[in-house]
Amino acid sequence: MSKNLLFKLTVLLTMMSLALAACGGGGGDETTQKVTSSGFVCPEPEQKMEVSSQELNLFVWTEYIPAEWKECFELVYGVKINHDEYSSNEEMYAKLSAGGTNYDLVQPTDYIVGLMIRQGMLQKLDHGKLPMSSFDPNYMDLPFDPGNEYTIPYQAGTDAIIYNADKVENPPKSFADLWNPEYAGRMVFLDDSRVIIGMTLLTLGYDVNTTDPAQLEEAKVKLAELVPNVKLFDSDSPKTALIAGDVDLGITWTGEAFLAAQENPAFTYVYPTEGAILWQDNWAIPVGAPHLDAAYAWINYTMQGNMFWMMLRDFPYINPSLAALEYAKENQPDLYNAYMGSPITNVPQEAIDAGHRIEDVGDATPLYDRIWTEVKGGE
Amino acid sequence: MLQRLRENKAWQGTLLALPTTLWLFVLLVIPLFLTLVVSFGRRSPDGGVIYGFSFHNYLRLLGYSTDCPGGQAACFDPLYAGILWRSLTLAFWTTVIVILLAYPLAYFIARSHPRRRNTFLMLVLVPLWTNFVIRVYAWMMLLREQGVINGVLGWIAAQFGIPFQPLQMLYTPGAVLVGMVYEFLPFMILPIFTSLEKIELPLYEAAADLGANPFRTFLRVTLPLSMPGVVAGTILVFIPVMGTFIVSDLLGGKQVILVGNLIQNQFLSARDPTFGSAASLILMIMTLIVTYFYTRKFGFGEEIIAA
Repeated sequence: MSKNLLFKLTVLLTMMSLALAACGGGGGDETTQKVTSSGFVCPEPEQKMEVSSQELNLFVWTEYIPAEWKECFELVYGVKINHDEYSSNEEMYAKLSAGGTNYDLVQPTDYIVGLMIRQGMLQKLDHGKLPMSSFDPNYMDLPFDPGNEYTIPYQAGTDAIIYNADKVENPPKSFADLWNPEYAGRMVFLDDSRVIIGMTLLTLGYDVNTTDPAQLEEAKVKLAELVPNVKLFDSDSPKTALIAGDVDLGITWTGEAFLAAQENPAFTYVYPTEGAILWQDNWAIPVGAPHLDAAYAWINYTMQGNMFWMMLRDFPYINPSLAALEYAKENQPDLYNAYMGSPITNVPQEAIDAGHRIEDVGDATPLYDRIWTEVKGGE
Repeated sequence: MLQRLRENKAWQGTLLALPTTLWLFVLLVIPLFLTLVVSFGRRSPDGGVIYGFSFHNYLRLLGYSTDCPGGQAACFDPLYAGILWRSLTLAFWTTVIVILLAYPLAYFIARSHPRRRNTFLMLVLVPLWTNFVIRVYAWMMLLREQGVINGVLGWIAAQFGIPFQPLQMLYTPGAVLVGMVYEFLPFMILPIFTSLEKIELPLYEAAADLGANPFRTFLRVTLPLSMPGVVAGTILVFIPVMGTFIVSDLLGGKQVILVGNLIQNQFLSARDPTFGSAASLILMIMTLIVTYFYTRKFGFGEEIIAA
């Protein structure tokens, strides 16, 4: 009986596969529509560019590109994408400066851009081939790259204070408030020497990029008082300890704050009175990039409103693309409203104006690290 | 040619050792040499290396400072020496606790029925099938303030109507020690087990015949004969603990800088490869010194390595 059943099943399956094959053969016009494996219908490029390269080598942050982009670009332009990832600017910088890489696009953050320009690691961009008018002017022409000669914005964000309104009675308003003994043992900080020493400098009224050893010494003494009150340092996922209830407040960045607030609306993000730290990730093309045409095509295609809106869905940071916001407003109202309704992503203009940007401090870099080691290592 | 090779034992040896030698030369000797060269250099303002020959990175690590509060020309700065010392003591205590936990278990397994022995050994090895970092995250779930352990304790306390304040376990030095011990326990159990298993039963009978009580037998027969296993285990545990920093990062909340963190920070946030190279070499030298004196006293555990 079982043999009989097996035979029937085989016959059935064969018939079905034949029928499917027939369908596939018949629908010849389907090939014009490009669909990703997740079922997303790729939009056509607004401006199809000449691309003769067969490949494109991306060097990007871990988990910082929507999955559909790669598939769509490969389908639309017939270019194979090679994709390497890094988890810190320093890692990317070290790899590029060691030489021997052949990346076409990288995503440096503001403070490392200046350094890479000085080292001659980036090439000037051809604005004629880029969607320059689609960006929010707030994120253009910044001090680290005046006139956007070498970079265009990708995503931006802030480092500021977050607290759990259910548990913190007297919410902090400034970085200086974090020294309040009430918060001892209840805080998570980013594990980032420049941000944490920088915010201490701000509470003392100094510049966030100072190289003056006396000012840094003063900041060190002040920060050393605070470090024992910090329960943990975590740059990768500070939201985890907040959501799990291990800590009630701290210093975190846009994306983490947004996700924590989605998980529990009691999490409130505060732009401190001293001014938050602002940062921005950018696209840049390294010198010697072998597939320039594909690099420009990639930026143009992914920066289209009907592609870049996916960043709102996958990576809730500050989105510098006006085209994407416009597209989302029409076609993804839920994402758009969540983005515009939250002060975490839709940063008030005064917070942007009051913000500070980290810059490379050259020779003082080891001094910052030494202070960091000292305040954390001191028993 | 092939005939000659078959007869020439020296050639055979060379040929057999060639792949490993080449591997070690390319991936160990050359990088180590580069590290040495870089460690004598100076950092350029942009984080590159200015090659030279100066010991200042090493002096800085060992505490020599020219930036003194009192305005003297030179003074002792304990910062980096303190980090080295802390890593050393953490590795020491981890090893001691691991020995104390591993020995009784290894003894139990070695004395158990041979049929069940393999099952027990398997159980020791099973955790190693899961990635190390994932297991550390599991510890975080157990230890956190609203985690599993506090949940169970709170439930028990509630049954008896005792007020319960959740214990602070995660992000403490104790959590780091627990994580380290957990991670390296199997590497101690296995060599001790191997050496205990090889002790022949007639030796115990002889000890009993000669009037030794069980305690004395353990002290005079079992312990000395199992020392090679303890030594081999110690080497397998102590050396990696010295350089590990992921456990202290995740379970300790990155509050404490160990020598592994120090080295990592030099190559990344401080962008000072010269100082980082010097710190790497100092770590190696320190480990070698400790291992050297230890093995001179107790041997290398050759029997275990041979087994």
